[in-house]
Formats: sequence, C-alpha cells, structure tokens
Amino acid sequence: MEKDKSTMIAMLQLLRKYNFKETSELFKKEANIDESEIAELKPSSTEVESVLSAYKDDSEPTRYDKAYTELQKFVESSLDIYKHEMGTILYPVLVHMYLEMVYQNHAEEAQSLLAKHSRGIEDYYQTELNQLSQITKREHLAENELANTFKTQQFNRRISRDTLSILKRFLGEEKPNNHLLMKIVSAHVNFDIYEGVARNKNQIEATAGSLIGEASRTDNKAKVYYGLLKEQDVGPVTIATEDEDEEVGTDGDYRPKKKKTKKDNIFSKKTKSDPNAPSSTRMPLPNLRDIDKIEKRKAMKEALKRVTLGPDSLPSICFYTLMNSVNTAICAEVSEDSSLLSVGFSDSTIKVWSLVPQKLKKMKDAEQLADVLCESDDVLVRMMDDKTAETVRTLYGHSGPTYSLSFSPDKSILLSSSEDGTVRLWSLHTWTCLVCYKGHIFPVWSVKFSPHGYYFATGSHDKTARLWATDSHQPLRVFAGHHADVDVVQFHPNSNYIASGSSDNTVRLWDCTTGGQVRLMTGHKNSIYALTFSMDGRVLASAGCDGRVLLHDLAQGHLIAALSSHTAGVYSLTFSRDGNLLVSGSLDCSIKVWDYIKLYDELNVEDANVSHNPDVKTCTDTYLLRSYGTKSTPVLTTHFSRRNLMLAIGKFDANLS
Amino acid sequence: MSDVDSMMYGTTLSTESMKVIAESIGVANLPDEAAKDLAEDVSYRIKQILQDAIKFMHHGRRSRLTTHDVDHALKAKNVEPTYGFFAKEHIPFRFASGGGRELHFTEEKEFDLTELVSTAGAQSWPKLPLDTNLRTHWLCIDGIQPTIPENPPPVSKEVQKLESTDPISSKNSNPNLGKPGHKSHKLRNVETVHVKQLATHELSVEQQLYYKEITEACVGADEGRRVEAYQSLSADPGLHEMLARMCTFIAEGVKINVVQNNLAILIYLMRMVKALLDNPSLYLEKYLHELIPSIVTCIVSKSLCSRPEMDNHWALRDFASRLMAQICKNFNTTTNNIQTRITRLFSHALININQANLNSLYGAIHGLCELGPDVIKALVIPKIRVISDRIEVCFEGVNSSSIDRNAAGHIKTLLIKSVAPILKTIRSAPDVVEEYEQEFGYIGPALCTAVSKNRTTPAAPIPSASSSTISTFYSTSATAATSTTSSSTASTTNASTASAASAASAASAASAASTASTASTASTASTASTSATTTSDNSASSGTETSSRHKSNGGWYAQCRKHPIEATTASNCNAKFTRAVHGIHGCRFGSIE
Repeated sequence: MEKDKSTMIAMLQLLRKYNFKETSELFKKEANIDESEIAELKPSSTEVESVLSAYKDDSEPTRYDKAYTELQKFVESSLDIYKHEMGTILYPVLVHMYLEMVYQNHAEEAQSLLAKHSRGIEDYYQTELNQLSQITKREHLAENELANTFKTQQFNRRISRDTLSILKRFLGEEKPNNHLLMKIVSAHVNFDIYEGVARNKNQIEATAGSLIGEASRTDNKAKVYYGLLKEQDVGPVTIATEDEDEEVGTDGDYRPKKKKTKKDNIFSKKTKSDPNAPSSTRMPLPNLRDIDKIEKRKAMKEALKRVTLGPDSLPSICFYTLMNSVNTAICAEVSEDSSLLSVGFSDSTIKVWSLVPQKLKKMKDAEQLADVLCESDDVLVRMMDDKTAETVRTLYGHSGPTYSLSFSPDKSILLSSSEDGTVRLWSLHTWTCLVCYKGHIFPVWSVKFSPHGYYFATGSHDKTARLWATDSHQPLRVFAGHHADVDVVQFHPNSNYIASGSSDNTVRLWDCTTGGQVRLMTGHKNSIYALTFSMDGRVLASAGCDGRVLLHDLAQGHLIAALSSHTAGVYSLTFSRDGNLLVSGSLDCSIKVWDYIKLYDELNVEDANVSHNPDVKTCTDTYLLRSYGTKSTPVLTTHFSRRNLMLAIGKFDANLS
Repeated sequence: MSDVDSMMYGTTLSTESMKVIAESIGVANLPDEAAKDLAEDVSYRIKQILQDAIKFMHHGRRSRLTTHDVDHALKAKNVEPTYGFFAKEHIPFRFASGGGRELHFTEEKEFDLTELVSTAGAQSWPKLPLDTNLRTHWLCIDGIQPTIPENPPPVSKEVQKLESTDPISSKNSNPNLGKPGHKSHKLRNVETVHVKQLATHELSVEQQLYYKEITEACVGADEGRRVEAYQSLSADPGLHEMLARMCTFIAEGVKINVVQNNLAILIYLMRMVKALLDNPSLYLEKYLHELIPSIVTCIVSKSLCSRPEMDNHWALRDFASRLMAQICKNFNTTTNNIQTRITRLFSHALININQANLNSLYGAIHGLCELGPDVIKALVIPKIRVISDRIEVCFEGVNSSSIDRNAAGHIKTLLIKSVAPILKTIRSAPDVVEEYEQEFGYIGPALCTAVSKNRTTPAAPIPSASSSTISTFYSTSATAATSTTSSSTASTTNASTASAASAASAASAASAASTASTASTASTASTASTSATTTSDNSASSGTETSSRHKSNGGWYAQCRKHPIEATTASNCNAKFTRAVHGIHGCRFGSIE
C-alpha cells in the first residue's frame, strides 16, 4: 500500500508540474491523499522519473520482447570473434526480463517471451528456464529460491575489454528500448573484464552452466596449500620380501631390502617438504595412537605389493552386486583397507558386510571385559565375543533414507547421514549408535570423514556444508555460499580444505581454518554428485548428473579437462592408489577408466595464469582407456584396494534388462 | 516446435478440476476467478514439489520417481506427507463421465481386516519380499572382461546387427578406445607402412570345451542333456564368438546326414538352428549363407530317412519350413531380399510338378504355405489343379507304391489345411462341390468340405494347426533317436556293409558335385560342394534350384566359407566324409572303421 501511495503522490506531482490544476485536485480527492502526506513523502525528482518509467513499462510488456529481439539481432550480427562472448549475456537478460514481467503481473506475455526465445539459449540452461517458467505470480517470486538467487546474485561474466566496449556502445545508442536493456544489464550482470582476445565458443561453454555465471578472478585469488602433509613418523616399515606372513615390527630386522628403489618411489613425497603443503600445525590434527601406527605400517607394507596401473596394465575389477534392493539401496561405502562394506537403504537401515574372511564380532559385556587381560598382546582380539561373529550386521536408528556413509580411517567408527536431518556415529565394536549430530534441519546428502580422523564434513539440503568434530555436538564451521543444495562434500588429503559440490552447478573449496571460500569452480551443467582429489592433492575431479567428469586445477581454480562419455549421472569417482588412473561409475551401468597420468603429463602447469583459463581438454577418446558395462547394474561406488585391485558396488535392476 | 514449447511452458491444471476438488471437500459453486487463481497456484506448488522430489530421486541413485520421493519433498516443505500411499507401479486412474463433466479417480478396494488376519500364513498370504544379498563376480580381469553370465554380452545384438547390415559404421567407431591418441601421433610420419595384422579368432580353452560339450550334447543320445544344450544355446549371452563355428557345424552336419539319411541328427541340427535363432543376444544375419542352404535341404530333400514308409520325415520338413519363415520374418531387408529369393526358390519347384519327387513337392508347398497368406494366394492356389492331378495318379494309379500313396496323402492334408482358410476369404459362399472339382480337380471335393467347415467354425487358422505338429515333431525326434541307435548297433554288427553303403552314397554325391562344378566354371569348389549334398539326392528342381542360387548369386552366397570337404575326387571325398562323420558322431559311429 505504501508503494502505491508513493506512486500516486508521484503522479500528483507530475500533474502539478505540468499545471493540470483541476485534474490534480480531482485526483487528490479521489486517491484520498492529503497535503501533509505529500509533504511527508515528497519524492525527489529522480524518483518520480523511475516511478514513471516503471509505469511506462507496465503498460507495454511487448517492449521486453522488442528489446530482447534487438539484442539478439545485435549479437547475431556482431563479428564472429565477439559473437560468442556477447551471446553470453542473452541468458541473464532473458531471465531478468521474465522475472520483471512476472513482477509486473504480465505472466502470459512473460510465458510467451520465454517460449519464443528459449530455443536460442544454450541447452544446459533449459532446465533452469523451465523451472523459472513455473513462476507465474508475484507472490511466488518472493518465496522461490531460484528467483531469489537470480535477484540477489549478480550473474558473473568474464568478458574481454573489446567485447565489452562494443556492447556498451550498442547499449548506449539512443534507441527506445535500450534503456530497458541497460537497466537489466547494469543491475544484474557483473562483467569481469580481462585483457586479450575474446574467447571462442568452446572456451566459453567449458566454464558456463552454473546458476551464477562463471567464477570471477577475485574468487580464486587466495592461495591454496594443496600439497600433502608430511606424514607423521610411524616407525620403520619392515619390508617382507621372502616371508609374506612376517609380522610387522616384531623382529629387529629393519634393513630395507631389494625393494628399496620402489619404496623411494612411493614415499619420496612424504620425505621431501613440499612448498605447497600447509604447515603441519595449520590445522590441529589428532596424534597417531599405537593402533593407528600399526595400521599405517600395514598399509605401507601392502602398498609395496601394489600393482602399478597404466594404459598397458589395466586393473581387475571385483564387482559386488546387491540383489533384491534396486529401489532400496542408496549408497555404498568401502573402508580404506577394503575389509568392510556398508550400504545405506531407503528404509533407514544400514547394513555392514565383511569382505574378508574375518567375521564381524561384537565387543564383550562389561563383566566379561573385566576378565580380559589388559597386558596381553592380542587384547583387542580378546575383547571381542566370538559367539557373535556374523558376516553382515544391520544398524537401526535413522528415521529416513540413509544418503551417505563414511568409515573412520581406523574403521572403528561409521558415520551416516540421513533424510531425517541427522548424522549418526556408529561404533563398529559395539554395533550401536553412539552420537546423533543434529545441526542441519533438512536432509543431509553427504558425510565424509577426514583422512586423519576426528573431523568430518557434511553437506545438506539447507545449502550449507559444515565441519564437525566427533567430540562436539555442534558444527565447528558452517560454510554458507552455495545457492542450492550441497550434494556432496569431500576432504582434501591434507585435511585443511573441504570441497563441496552443489545443485547450483558449482564446486567450491573451503578453508577449514578460516571458514572462508577459497575456490569457486564452474563448468558443470547440472548437479554434482561425486568429488575426489588426486593423490598429490593438486587436482579436484568432479562429476554429476550431466554425466561429465571435470578436472580442476586447484592452484588457480582452472578447469583443465572435461571428459564426457557417460550417458547418465555419475555417482562415483576414484583415483587409483598410484594416481595413474581415474575411474568413474555411473547409473548408465558402466564403469569407465580414464588415463589420468597422460592427461596430467600433457598439462602444462606453468602455462596457466590467473586471468586466462588454459585450453580445456575435451578429447574424450584420447583419455578414455576402457569402458566396462555391467549387466543392468547401476554402479554406486568404486574403490581401489591398497594393492590397486578395484572393487565396485552396484544394485541389480531387473527392469533394465 | 510450438507443441513442445507449449508443453514446457505455462501448463496449468484446468479450472474444471479445481471446481471438482472444491466440491469434493464441500465448497460448492467456486467462482471462476477463484478457480483460475487456485489452478495457477496449485500448479506452481505441484511443480515445486515435483522438482524437489526429483532431487530425492537423484540422491536415491534411481531413475524412477517413487511416492516416497514425493513424501520426502512434502516433508522438506513442511507439508504433512500423504501416508499409506504405496503404489509400486503406476496408479490406475479410472475414468467416469456424466452430467457433462469428466472425472478421473483412483479406485480403492475395501479390505476386510478380519479376513486378512485370519488368512495369515495361508496359501493366499502375500509373499515376503526377498532379502537383500550380495553377489560377487569379476567384472574384468587385468582389463579384460570375461564372458560369464554375470557380465553383459561382449557385443550387444544392436552392434551385431549394425555390423552385419552397415559395416561402414562400425569402422568409424573405434572399438579400442584410447587408441586414437596413438593414431594421431602416427599420422605425422606417413611414410611408415603399416601392415594390418591378420585377424585371429581364437577361442579360449573354456570356449573350446563348451563348444565340444554343446555339439556332443546336441547330437548325442541323452535327451535330457540335449534339452539342456538347447536351453544354453537359446539363452547364453556369450555365444557371439563361437557363432561362426556353430553355424559351420550345423551346415556340415546337414550335408553329411542328408547323404546318410540320418533323420534324427537332422532334426537335432534343426533344433539347434531354432535355439540359436531364439537367442536374444545373437544376430544371425552374417551366417545365413550357411544356415539357409541347410534348412532348405531339410525342407525339400528327396529323402531324409532310411525308411520313408515308417519314419516321420514330414515333421522335419514342417519344422524346417517354420524356421525358414521365421528367418524370412526376422532378417528380410531390402538389400538381401531373403523373402523374395526363398519364395522364388520354392515356387520354381512347382514348375515341373509331374516329374518332381513327391517329398520335395511336399516340402516346397509347405515352405510356401509358411510364408503367409499372400504367398499362398499368389503361388499355391494357381498350382492346386496340377498338384491334384499328380496326386490322383498316385492314389488311383495301378503301379503306385505305398510310399507314393502316403506322400500324396500328406500333400493332400497339407493343402487342405493351409489353403482352405485362404480360399474362404477369396471365394464367396455357397461352396459348390462341382465348381471346386472343376477348378481344383481331384482334391476339389475335399477342399470344398474343408472350406465350408471353415466358414462355420471361424477359429483354427494355420498357427494353431502348426503348434500341434510341433509336439509331434519333438516326439518324433525322440523316437527317431531310438531308431538311429538301433540302426547304428546294426551297423556295428554289419560294419562292412554299412561302410560300403555310406561310401557308395558319398561317391554318388561327389560325382554329382563334380558334374555341377564342371557345368558352371565360375563356381568355386566350395560352393560346388555345398550344392553337392543338396543335389546328391536328386531332389529334382528344387535341389538344383538351390545350387543354381549359389552359383548365380555371387554376392551373398559366394561368401561361403571354404569347406573342409572339397569335391575333388570321389575317393578323396569319401575318406573325408567318413572322417567328418566321425568328427560329428563321435563314439556312436566310431565303430564303423
């Protein structure tokens, strides 16, 4: 009402300005405005103008159509080298025109504008346009999240100086509709100007697709310490050459034997200090316990036996098929040492299988535990009750589908996130729920343990990612910034950063210590469901609903490769333990193996600078080593064992065959 | 364009629905304006909820939306979800109209709970869903995907089809992905000459074992094993690599056993063809050049069994004809024209009816009849008169043998059975016996009664008749098997005569082959040998037709594989025949030497 009043007062002022005395008196009477109000709300002359222009727009919804057509014509007729860059503003302009028209209650005209021009917009924006087209009333505008994102967020566009000056010249021309265009562009589009030649179509398409345009230069300026931490000393590793069953660290024979060279290969990174690595005190990490050290030594011993994979030595894949659970199995997770498999179901249960001959045992009762000798070497074994050994155990506790699971590095704890908005921590010794973390109020899509334990990260429907510690019932950090659901989170190998993928089609990297956003990476055309860091921590691979696998260089936040071969959503990405291969598993019933090391070698890291994205490698055929189809079995998870044997988990879908 | 766009943008529920829903909750006379406003708002809300539900579907790693997804989406929007809504598949909407109004509603059955509880544990009690379990297999070993039932077939049927119908397309898409990188590298030094490696089609040891087992089981004496073998052939997805060898096995087997008049083996081989045809993961088009001559041989060969008066070789002919019809149906394209060529082949057999062998005649007619009513109308009905003349001679003639009479009887029943339903459609009632007799001669009266009977009982067209013969066919094959075993034991005791007989028949086959090859110089030795077995039974016109097809049609049939049996000299051929026979029949014929 307030607004209407001010409009009317503006009207009155106008009438007075042009000396329509009688009319103004009549109008005053009819609108029921008294003089005091006019004095009180005396709008400035500029405001009068704006009200008038808004009024004028009101009367002519067709102006939008005309203005857009003119802009489109201008883009079409501009020189080829600027054309594509210029074309990028069409989408935000169309979106805001639509929203403005809906705001002015011209829903029908707005619909026809969208129907007429949406074909000229790139395919990957069609989903959003379709979602926008649902909004037909002013009331919907206020509550619609998508509309709010567009309204509050400027659409970011990288544009060369030349292109921008041409565009400005066009918008500055004295044409009836240019004022309208100018208004939209200046209010809603943010130009990130760079020097140099305008980008071509492929370069633009590579990073386009997100809800808020591209990352600006300032987004990715902060330094990211992507190097790996120096490993804590776990004691010498015995290298068993002849005797396979030799116990680790039991005898005094610490001489490195034949495999010395290989050992150096594997552990060299850890001994050298990496200039890009954060200091070990940057993020407080838990100290290693004795049991962790034993586990670490075991892992290193296993690592010595691992096969080096490459184009000529492809992995073996052991496939676990979940039967009778196509509509119920949701997520699967394999523990780091490949001994446990946990699967989350839509009926709120979690099942844990043992993948090794050792069965799953429960800890003894308190009274029985008192009898166990604490000094004995095998105290951990003695604590377990042999009578309870089972190959599969079920955990009950959630009240909604379980969307994500994560094992702690020492595999004594399992975390699960669910639709009921909680994260639960389960002990794999007592097989009970120990903690229920309530912080997110909406479904929690993803949970991930830190590679060093203690911390974990979650991503939720409430658009935030959060960092937690297992001993605190409140989150340590809340990472807000995404404009839609945070669908997946992933810890950096050095535990200092968390990557998050979202339905706003962006990938962001957050600093755990400061809580700030340090990288914004675009390029996906749909929601992101899988994230993984390369073994050296420098490259982040992401994949999602659009079936494409993107690789981002964390040093500058550049997109370095876009591999598209999958025909359905990709839900799993894994690097082999030696970092040579990247494997993606998808709902299209296939597992694809990519030659990551070749891609990385061809990448000229020196060439990249902040202002310009290097050429994005899209040559899928060159890097796709092999594609393995499964028999009507969408792939949920892929995993590499310490010896580089690949495990994959899928759910058999009889309807597909 | 406008269609798609109007679908995408601005779809709303109708105001009519709003009014109906309002009425159902007790709001009568909803004003139009309100209904329109409501419709728009409700449509918006529904779309929003669905959009969120899709999010839940994606996170559930599914591609099908469930009611639970909608429930969760509602819950996330703080709306009370609809409980007790568990339709697994689709919800069957019922439609009702009346009073100028159309209405869709879901039908809800009323359950009597006491009744439900009382039946607990009884037979009608619904089955509990199966529990989740975990199965393990190797998806690939060192980068190679093993062909096991758990893995998908290495080459899908679509790819096989594409390969055989459009070879160029498969050349473009490189099967060895990842290789193109090397290729582009190599292109720089154009001078280097690349010699393409000869393609080797090696079978793994397992595959060789499987091949041995399957072929032995198919022609062996154990009927149970045979059924298992056929089942495997018709269902196994990994047979693609062995297909060429299977087809060669069938073709060779038919050639030899036609000469030997070994009906049982021929039946087994045809059942093998049937099993391969039925396999959903195989596309046989590449091997038709081997299969079609074999099948045609089984249809039109002059003699298929050693005791024509007792053995039911008619069943084999019927079965093979149906196979042929199935092949025509599945693989006929404008480029290979299988149907046309097969039709022409059979109809040529009907040109010189008076000299034709009755068995071959029966086969040709049956082959044509299986190809459909149009073929019968165009090619069989005009010939009925001549055929019936021939039959009359057999029945009434003084010096006609019982075998001839038997054959003539079969032809007569066949004609009546398959022609009558067609005649019914092209001739109008009433059916006058004299007219029929005048037009169709000897079998006219019988046809007349069949047609008029057909008019009164509308059902029972050709397919149902043939299904009854299938059962007789399988039973015949079983009895034939026992007869073969007995005959083979006979041949063991009388080894010398048996081998002499087989030598003689083989020799005649070879001589026929050599004349054929000299007659047409263009034909290769292998094609000649293919025709050799077909012509060896002197199966009059149709047999020679098959062979002339081979010769004249360089494109398709001339791709015939090199046969191990080359018709060079009679003795040489004889030796090889015997060896081949041993190869196929293994132990049972091993005692001949």
